[in-house]
Amino acid sequence: MNPAEEIKQLFPDSVLSTGLQMNKPLAIIKKEELLKVAQKAKEMGFDHLSVITGIDYGSRFEVVYNFFSYIKKQNLVLKVVLGHENPEVDSLESLWKGADWLERETYDLVGIKFSGHPNLKRILLPEGWIGHPLRKDYDMSIDQFVTIGEDGEDVVSTDGSNLLRK
Amino acid sequence: MDPLTIDTTKIKIKKNKPVTAIDKLNDTGLISTVLAAREREGLILFSAIDQFFNWARLSSLWPVTSGLACCAIEMMATAMAHHDIARFGMEIFRASPRQADLMFVAGTVTKRMAPRVKKLYEMMPDPKWVISVGSCANTGGPYHESYSVLRGVDLIIPVDVYIPGCPPRPEAWLYGIIQLREKIKNQGYGAKWGLNK
Repeated sequence: MNPAEEIKQLFPDSVLSTGLQMNKPLAIIKKEELLKVAQKAKEMGFDHLSVITGIDYGSRFEVVYNFFSYIKKQNLVLKVVLGHENPEVDSLESLWKGADWLERETYDLVGIKFSGHPNLKRILLPEGWIGHPLRKDYDMSIDQFVTIGEDGEDVVSTDGSNLLRK
Repeated sequence: MDPLTIDTTKIKIKKNKPVTAIDKLNDTGLISTVLAAREREGLILFSAIDQFFNWARLSSLWPVTSGLACCAIEMMATAMAHHDIARFGMEIFRASPRQADLMFVAGTVTKRMAPRVKKLYEMMPDPKWVISVGSCANTGGPYHESYSVLRGVDLIIPVDVYIPGCPPRPEAWLYGIIQLREKIKNQGYGAKWGLNK
């Protein structure tokens, strides 16, 4: 039995559906139950959280967690579906330390909040950037520029007069 | 007789294999007239001062060690023995912009990197030149529609030579370097430098 089916047997109320994604066992989880299911996945031997992906479908967000077990040499994909207004899901940082930066990246570019994350701030873009660029409704008409402030920190501004040539 | 009034057409210069430093200068073709007036206690050298300066500048362009993306790998290939930019006296990639007079903008200039690139340029002493290498540095290239990439490094610093390619092969780099040498050779003495260019 593949691990997604195993999870469905253990948590029949938490798993909405199972299937395959890129030939990897996939389980779509209720977002409230994610932490509980992920805890079980870790006990099943999925010791490595490879990547967290956030996808904007216009009307909904999906967060995809790709796990790998170095012991069993198995893959597992968990997915949660979030509403478009104020998307928020539990952080997995308490289970996999690697989730720290992956969740920060997803927050930075897609704007999904991870409740319980110890340090949820932007990781690639500087603080003060307007919008989350991988969202479908990101405003590309605003030109944003970065300059170096007096304390050495990046400063974001929409006018590039002290960066661009006259 | 005043040296400036010597009719150079009447002086026959013997073509020998260049031995002395003056002969070698003459052999470059950049120095307009070289006269060895042995009866005058030494040598008299006639040249336009900007030609002489430009010859000195183009013969030892020292680039600053900076690479932004994959174009920098081609920069390393250009500097290695097979393509060998040491032929142009520019093999010394300086680790400090204070000692460099050429900057290769080799790679994608992201919005976050842009103020750093500009700072690096401002730290270089005059005279200084910039070669923009690759599609990304020229126009933004494949990232032209991106939120995070500057649409051409010439938005922030003046660029002398653009080398197209993604990334350009070392042959293209050498061609670009030769174009810059031509440009320096022909530039006047009162050329403007820096951001006022």
